Amino acid sequence: MIHMLRKTMLAAASIAALAAAHPAMAATELTFQRFFGACDADFGSNTDIAKAVGECGIITSMVNKFNADNPDIHVAVTTVEWPGYDQLTAQFAAGDPPDIVTIHHSALSDYQSKGLLVPLDDVLAANGIKPADFTDASRNGVTKDGKIYGLPIDNWTMLFHINMDLFKQAGLVDASGKPILPKSVDELLAQAKQFKEKTGKPYLIQNLANETALYTRNLYTYLFQQNSEFFADPTKVKINTPEAKKVVEMYKAIFDQGDTTKDLDYAASINAFLAGEGGVHLNGTWMIGDYTASAEKPGTALNKGGYAVYPYPQLFAGKHAQYADGHSLAVSQKDRSDEQTAAIGKFLKFMADHDFDWSRTGHLPAMKAVIESAEFKALPHRDTVAPIAELGTSLPSAVQRQFAIQDIIGQEMSAAITGQKEVDASLADMESRINELLANL
Amino acid sequence: MSSPAVSSGPASGAPSGMVGRSTGDRIILGLTIAAAIAMMAPLVWVVALSLKDNKELMVSMNAVFHAPYTLQNYLNILATSSVFRWILNSLIVAGGLTLGTLVLSSLAGYGFARLNFPFRNVLFVIVLMGLAVPEQAVLIARHQLFSWMKLHNTYPGLILPNLSAPFGVFLMTQYFRAIPKELDEAALLDNASRFKIFWKVLLPLTLPAQATLGIFTFLGAWNDYLWPLISGTKKEMYTLTVGIASTQTNFAQSEGLGFLMSQAVFAGAPILILYLFFQKYIVTAVSGAAVR
Repeated sequence: MIHMLRKTMLAAASIAALAAAHPAMAATELTFQRFFGACDADFGSNTDIAKAVGECGIITSMVNKFNADNPDIHVAVTTVEWPGYDQLTAQFAAGDPPDIVTIHHSALSDYQSKGLLVPLDDVLAANGIKPADFTDASRNGVTKDGKIYGLPIDNWTMLFHINMDLFKQAGLVDASGKPILPKSVDELLAQAKQFKEKTGKPYLIQNLANETALYTRNLYTYLFQQNSEFFADPTKVKINTPEAKKVVEMYKAIFDQGDTTKDLDYAASINAFLAGEGGVHLNGTWMIGDYTASAEKPGTALNKGGYAVYPYPQLFAGKHAQYADGHSLAVSQKDRSDEQTAAIGKFLKFMADHDFDWSRTGHLPAMKAVIESAEFKALPHRDTVAPIAELGTSLPSAVQRQFAIQDIIGQEMSAAITGQKEVDASLADMESRINELLANL
Repeated sequence: MSSPAVSSGPASGAPSGMVGRSTGDRIILGLTIAAAIAMMAPLVWVVALSLKDNKELMVSMNAVFHAPYTLQNYLNILATSSVFRWILNSLIVAGGLTLGTLVLSSLAGYGFARLNFPFRNVLFVIVLMGLAVPEQAVLIARHQLFSWMKLHNTYPGLILPNLSAPFGVFLMTQYFRAIPKELDEAALLDNASRFKIFWKVLLPLTLPAQATLGIFTFLGAWNDYLWPLISGTKKEMYTLTVGIASTQTNFAQSEGLGFLMSQAVFAGAPILILYLFFQKYIVTAVSGAAVR
């Protein structure tokens, strides 16, 4: 009897001690630093991901849902102003980086090359995520030196957003109701001329003011289409080439002939397209949702004849390709416990499993299964832009400082297209400035 | 050009205003009003945009000229869980920096102006050379130093770097130099200590310069972005400028313009309130009258 009592008391004491020593149910804490803004007012406590809209709303709700479903893990979010790389670099320098961070595929090399990121192959494999699950564009975007350094969550690229009413007026719609897009530089210039003659409006709406990214993405796309290996050596660019000259001269001709808007910044270019001020808006995947909504609203310029969206047309005889980038979730290199590593794996698995939810932002999914799914194809216009998953091409993964390179290319292209500089001089300066940058890393 | 009203104004003791002004005055007044409107217009535009729904602005900027208007953008800022923490952080950093700068600059200014010590002039030149060194030039070294001292994401980490204020030392030195030395000598005759002379006699006379320096320091600290961005990287240590920037969506300039503008107004409001209280000193400071 005494023995029983002793055993019972011992068991009770053990349970009490265990409970006391489990301060937690102390959840494993992970820090997640991201851009995409804050939207606490609308989605601060929302865990129903299906109800969320927009980048901020969806990612906020995804993290809320993960925290709710996993009481043993707490993901603490820090938002940073886009793209947040100044802060991230400073955090690495101070030895206090976040556990998980949003990084563009094009910026991964800047950190991976310095050994600041954890290769994720093992973590992903442990959670049942295989590289073959990713689309080609996504897998290539996050693979550096043969290893995966980020969970890709999407791909984005530039698109031809088309005002179908104006295309009909211009006679640029085929019998099936699809827009007729050019297949060569000459066709592009001819169609732009025809468009202006018939509608009195410019063929292209471009944000050429206060801008560098658009120029750069356009140049990369049409260099890829000419099989130009301008970064054959990732530490040295060769861009003062006949191929690059063809692209710059094409955009200069469009500019000189008045077939594009000229003085619009990014926001104004969106206003112009929504107001029906031009035929094709060169903008990203992220605008599909807004333009679709406008097209469904009676009385709007896009509602008159509809809205269509396509990848950039193939204008050259090389491989079918266009520049694409993407977002990924990378993990910082720092000391952490097995529990923390396991928690990170669980979080990445959750994000991969919810790739469809993220794709509602307008970005292309990173997972093959999602892009091939019926529910994704049922989203507006996803059928016409889906080829991007195969066409999407990044710069070689070892090229560093891609955001800084973008600024240089944009500045020089702008100078050439607007006539401030000769095309040859711009390309020469572009090449020398980039190489100087890369030589001083 | 003089109208009867103009010529009769002064004689009849009419109140000042347009009445009694010469043509030249009227032109200057007109130009001043035009300049004021030109300067106010962007501010009014920002406030007007902040009162509009983001989706309306995305379709057309003309939406700003007609109802409906909304305070939703401001409510969204206030709904951000950390915003009041960020305001508190900014107050602590700007307040601490202002206080520290005033104390150090006053003491240093007094020393350079009144005390004789070895290498005084050389040291003063070295301090002045600090005016020529931009913050960006020392940023990396400073960041590493603060990393080593483990001061990032702390209030001292945000305050200490800007306590070295060459402008403040220069301003206070010049101000102390302009005060007649006879005041010191009279106090010395009364057996006052050096510190007592500084504290009781000279410091009160430098209040206009202190106000000028304090206002400039506070404004600079409140608006500072670069150092808080890379030193205060944890959400709970953001200052208001860094915090509200972090709430912007990727395409804020097109998809969230109203919210973006409300952020600008929200961040600027405390400074506007400060201006209302210290208008006289700010005008004096800007006009340079404080530097004798």
